[in-house]
Amino acid sequence: MLVTGIKSKPVYAPLQADTRGRYHLMLGLGVGAAPLLRVIDEMRAAAASGLKTTRVLFVPDPGAAPPGAAPDAQAAPEVVAFKAAGIGDVQAFGGTAALLEQFRTTLAQSLMGTRLYVAGPESFIGLAMKIALEFNLNKDEIRAEECGSLARRVYCIHCRTTTEFVRTNIVRCAGCARWLLVRDHYSRRLAAYMGVMVDAEAPGELPPLKEVFL
Amino acid sequence: MNDAQTIAVEVVGIEQVTPLIKHFKLAPVGGGLLPVFSGGSHIIVVMQAKDRVHKNPYSLLGSPSQLTTYEIGVRRMEESRGGSHFMHDAVKLGSRLEIAHPVNLFGLDKIARKHVLIAGGIGITPILAQLEDLHGGGVPYELHYSVRSAEHAAFLERLRRREGARLHIYYDSDGQLIPFEPLLAAQPLGTHVYVCGPAGMIKHVIGTAQASGWPDSHIHWEQFSAPPVGDAFEVFLARSKISVHVPPDQSLLESIEAAGVEVPYLCRGGVCGFCHTRVLELDGELMHNDHFLSNADKANAKNIMPCVSRARCKRLVLDL
Repeated sequence: MLVTGIKSKPVYAPLQADTRGRYHLMLGLGVGAAPLLRVIDEMRAAAASGLKTTRVLFVPDPGAAPPGAAPDAQAAPEVVAFKAAGIGDVQAFGGTAALLEQFRTTLAQSLMGTRLYVAGPESFIGLAMKIALEFNLNKDEIRAEECGSLARRVYCIHCRTTTEFVRTNIVRCAGCARWLLVRDHYSRRLAAYMGVMVDAEAPGELPPLKEVFL
Repeated sequence: MNDAQTIAVEVVGIEQVTPLIKHFKLAPVGGGLLPVFSGGSHIIVVMQAKDRVHKNPYSLLGSPSQLTTYEIGVRRMEESRGGSHFMHDAVKLGSRLEIAHPVNLFGLDKIARKHVLIAGGIGITPILAQLEDLHGGGVPYELHYSVRSAEHAAFLERLRRREGARLHIYYDSDGQLIPFEPLLAAQPLGTHVYVCGPAGMIKHVIGTAQASGWPDSHIHWEQFSAPPVGDAFEVFLARSKISVHVPPDQSLLESIEAAGVEVPYLCRGGVCGFCHTRVLELDGELMHNDHFLSNADKANAKNIMPCVSRARCKRLVLDL
């Protein structure tokens, strides 16, 4: 079975400011702050007016909070950095689900002329793209940069359960407990890689378990 | 596309819908159904005039679900090279014509969340068929239709009846202008705009949309150019090893075809890029009139679209 070298595996590129856009919506998770701050710098250099129409939705890395401090997303160092860079409209969230809910609400109210920038792990980019697709955003309206964990969302083609944070070449499905082979075959609609039962032909014969998506 | 693939049709309806526009209904000779098409498609109509053959593109304006006849609207062009005058003056009920299979270079985006359709004058024709595709689809849309004056508003009754409040009509005679800037600045995400009309209107819509931050993938337009009249010139076809004379009122493509050399084409109006031909030698300049080649491609003069473009030159050699 073809595991790698599959065309549907998304390809990402470093984020760049698109100053042809009228509104800029940025989504980030953890280390995704750095590429977004880089784009904000580019926008300031090109046309300062873009900063006034930029909104940032962000999930801070819990590890970046000062030791002992209660986790407060609004006070996270990344959020402070966005505000210092001149972005007035920054919203911080305690988790991805809350951010995506706000993202959906924001898109429903957005106008043509909006550009989307997403920075973070691929699983986060995938979930954001899935929502962007529902709003008919095309490739020329979206930029995404992958950074952070390569852990995958894996969709079991047998029981249709998605297993999160998969770091290994094979994984036990969270739904049906089959051992799944994680392929590069990616679904934009499901925001997940396809997992196929690995020992269907020879029950119990498994390849060595290896951590590959770190 | 070549003439072997055409369909023989008979004119079964003619109506003068404005002082300049005639509406024709074409049925297949011998009955039966015409090929399936989608809204925004055009056909090439092949007209056998006394001294020459005209092949003009016309948008299909009828419903794609009704295939017993095709409907086209033909505007009488003031500076006609003969095609539109032939349709207006020589074609009668019962006349036979040849048409090429429909091709769609102006289709609707199937996953758009909203459609904004903008038409100027005869540019309403492809949009009439697009509207048919939108009926009952549940996707919001609106039509902005600009015409010279009430008597020039082709198909207005049909539009009023079918589109109701979705139709916005603007009369130049009353100084009414489509409010392009506020219209395009206030559309929800996932909207697509479609424009067909005079060159100036298309250019203005594209420019206004881009200035409002619209990405190119959401902007759709169609404009068939008639091949302009120009100076006569000679062209040498390298593979066929023949020299062809291009008279002032005949296009390069028509002249090459008259010499017996087939060039693939779909639109004959500078849009589709199908007749794209390599220039091997040139002593002079190319007069590009197409909407297909980029400005950079036009400047480096290595390619020409013979359907609408010409040359002013001492020598031109094409890879044909």
